[in-house]
Amino acid sequence: MQFEPYKALYLHIPFCVRKCAYCDFESCAVARDDARIDQYVDELVLEIRRASKAGLLGSLQTVYIGGGTPSHIGLARLSKLLYTLSLSMHLEPEIECTMEANPESLDARMVRDIWALGVNRLSIGVQSFDDEVLSILGRPHGAKAAREAVRMAHERFENVSVDLMCGIPGQSDESFAESVRVAVELGVTHVSVYPLTIEEGTPFAQRVESGVMPEPDDDVEARHMLLAAEILEAAGFHRYEVASYARPGFESRHNTAYWTGVPYLGLGRGATTMRQTADRRERIKDGEVLEVLDAAEMLAEDLMLAMRMSRGFSIEDAEDAALVFDQLPEVLGDLMADDLVELRDRRFRPTTRGWLCGNQLYARLLALA
Amino acid sequence: MYQDPQYIRNFSIIAHIDHGKSTLSDRVLELTGTVASRDMQEQLLDSMDIERERGITIKSQAVRVDYTADDGKTYQFNLIDTPGHVDFTYEVSRSLAACEGAVLVVDATQGVEAQTVANAMLAMNADLEIIPLINKIDLPAADPERVRAEIEDGLALPADDAVLASGKTGVGVHDMLESVVYNIPAPEGNQNAPLRALIFDSYFDPHRGVVALIRVVDGKISKGDRVRMVNTGTEVLVNEVGCRRPAETPTPHLSVGEVGYLVTGLKDVRQVKVGDTITALKGGVDEPLPGYREAKPMVFTGLFPIDGDQYEPLKEALEKLSLNDPALVWEPEKSHALGFGFRVGFLGLLHMEVIKERLEREFGLDLLATAPSVEYHVFKKGGEMVSLHSPQEMPDASEIDHIEEPYLKAKVLIPPDYVGAVMELATSRRGIFINMNYLSQTTVELLWEIPLSELIMDFFDKLKSNTKGYASLDYEFGDYKTSDLMKLDILLSGKPIDALSFIVHKDKAYDRGRVLCEKLKEIIPRQMFEVPIQAAVGSRVLARQTVKAMRKDVLAKCYGGDITRNRKLLEKQKAGKKRMKDIGKV
Repeated sequence: MQFEPYKALYLHIPFCVRKCAYCDFESCAVARDDARIDQYVDELVLEIRRASKAGLLGSLQTVYIGGGTPSHIGLARLSKLLYTLSLSMHLEPEIECTMEANPESLDARMVRDIWALGVNRLSIGVQSFDDEVLSILGRPHGAKAAREAVRMAHERFENVSVDLMCGIPGQSDESFAESVRVAVELGVTHVSVYPLTIEEGTPFAQRVESGVMPEPDDDVEARHMLLAAEILEAAGFHRYEVASYARPGFESRHNTAYWTGVPYLGLGRGATTMRQTADRRERIKDGEVLEVLDAAEMLAEDLMLAMRMSRGFSIEDAEDAALVFDQLPEVLGDLMADDLVELRDRRFRPTTRGWLCGNQLYARLLALA
Repeated sequence: MYQDPQYIRNFSIIAHIDHGKSTLSDRVLELTGTVASRDMQEQLLDSMDIERERGITIKSQAVRVDYTADDGKTYQFNLIDTPGHVDFTYEVSRSLAACEGAVLVVDATQGVEAQTVANAMLAMNADLEIIPLINKIDLPAADPERVRAEIEDGLALPADDAVLASGKTGVGVHDMLESVVYNIPAPEGNQNAPLRALIFDSYFDPHRGVVALIRVVDGKISKGDRVRMVNTGTEVLVNEVGCRRPAETPTPHLSVGEVGYLVTGLKDVRQVKVGDTITALKGGVDEPLPGYREAKPMVFTGLFPIDGDQYEPLKEALEKLSLNDPALVWEPEKSHALGFGFRVGFLGLLHMEVIKERLEREFGLDLLATAPSVEYHVFKKGGEMVSLHSPQEMPDASEIDHIEEPYLKAKVLIPPDYVGAVMELATSRRGIFINMNYLSQTTVELLWEIPLSELIMDFFDKLKSNTKGYASLDYEFGDYKTSDLMKLDILLSGKPIDALSFIVHKDKAYDRGRVLCEKLKEIIPRQMFEVPIQAAVGSRVLARQTVKAMRKDVLAKCYGGDITRNRKLLEKQKAGKKRMKDIGKV
């Protein structure tokens, strides 16, 4: 089967200095000097080389090194990875190359060197600029270190993103709003805003179950999401996806690939690969096929993912899709009646309510197939 | 060769729950060498898992042990273990009818409690010789003298010769066995009269059909006999008779005074009813032994599978459980909100809980139970009476002349300090005060008539908490009384939800409606639009709450690996929503 070429590459680094209380990601707390990290990096290098040899890296537009905490593994190993990468693909300036970093493990030297080796976008796991909130989350850094990390990043990087969390029990509206404002003042070009979700098996889940911690309040989360939109839009950011705000031209191209049906290759433990032909889409993780979509399911997924983004989809897209899903006009009618979708500039787009209650919208689009 | 009835002793051990009956039974088996102590499993007679877990006996058991007394003679003891809960009062009475005597166990620390009194009454009514036994004397808090006084004052039983024992250490068990030999009379009966045997329990064995536990009153019953049940008219060939030691041991026959089991090969336990009389097919008697009664369900609830696909498995499970439980009655029920299920009748609340637990545990079913209800008698204007098991069947208010509901005679035993608290509780539950007796300086007996519907709410829990756990409750069915009852409907988004309707007294309608609306508000997930919850009688709304419209419902993270996961979550949410849609039409 001839698959479309991969346009995006994801490299996973599943190590952290410690596991945060809310996190259910593929990652584990491993000391920086642990030989297991070296072994893992060596394997990853091998995977990259093999993918390169197999001709899978020739059309890449974006690279994303995520985790875990990539900065936790230290500069020497990162250099090795980035060097391998630059030998294995055309890591040119127009390729968006993002690396995630955490305040506690990012330093000026790392900023300079990874930049020199081709990383051109830094995504910093700040979560909050409030010490109290950081401690609730079990983050290994404080607010001061977070601010310092962003300043350091700007020594080289123009394109700096921060992640912020909202709806955390114990986090006031003002605390969250202030974190958003600090991010703006620090001059970041991109902000991701996530409401806290309680994931099974995490310390937070236990705390909620035992009643020590209240469940995140939907009303509070909604208020925080609206606050973020208000502050960031006033500061010149635009929301291009449910959780993503960027200054014009600084939208994450890598993440956009996920939402626009672009094939991506994931390397490393727990990384997901999506590959597709014209009428078949597969997602693969750790060598296992997670799901196989047929043409109709692909189309429904594309419509659903498009509705995560402010651009939504065009009337023409809808007309094309209606050839497969004859109920689409009716569904769109319902979604507009429910104030989840609006038609603006000849595109169907999510409304404010569509942002907040996205699952209602996504579920109905997925149900088309 | 027939067993000489002179050397038979049939007796039961009766006690309030947790007073140590089962442990004592175990000691008897151990001391008579029936079961080697290393093989003892605690509370050997309670064989069902749930029985063992809850420490209560649901089915009766009969174990035969040989006891060589101090007089050098060997006696056949038939120890009959009876159900230990008020739900099973009738079964207890039949088990007692198979005995000549009873050992009444009273906890040396707790003293006489409601069921002690109730069980002693039953035993006295059955004309049994009662041997009081004060148990748990090894405990530091044991006060045998106080308990002895309570037995004399409260039960009017001479307690000078009460056996002092500890089931735990085994002290006094020998005394008890000697007392059984000397105080409990040998069975009387006519070896040459036509067969009469009492069925005091029956259960379904998948390999052998229905097995009955019986006590031979007159004559004898042998393998190969053709016999007839007097009340049901069932005729059957005796496949096997024998006794339990506790392993089943076939014998050629059972004769006057003996207790044992009977294998019928019948497929339906309802053909072999507890309390029925077995007689010979030819030349048998026509007059049954006294005391037979049909098992009558008192509490009803709708059981619905959470997953609609489990309707058939639920039906099969109920069929299987009914094989062994003639008191379990059920019929299909359909709810707009919950789909297809069953309206199931139980002897009481404990019976209901046990069955529900067994359905969920042994059959792996996920069930939704509607609020338990009782059987109301609705008298229509024309005089016609309708028995109502489900609020859904309630006729239109305009057709109803009056409604009657079942009342229980409830007996509460408490220390005098708590009289006020119990009075208040019982009054708030529409109880009618009957009488108050001081059984002793430390025990007051309060008699009430209380509507069953109030009792099945949370009366017992409240009673326990209002009296710091001191109160004990016992009840029996009283009669039907006219009450000012009405059907309360719960409406979601203006549409009545049949499965949530219930029948309530006029004075309680407002409170119950308000509480239920508040509860529902907590458990109904938010929808895209506001969902009003209303409690209404007819078209009059008594209480209202609103589930606010959903403010936020979005999986904000959706990167490479999240898409598959999110899709699954969204599909699950959709399935959940469909169910809510059914319930709330939202």
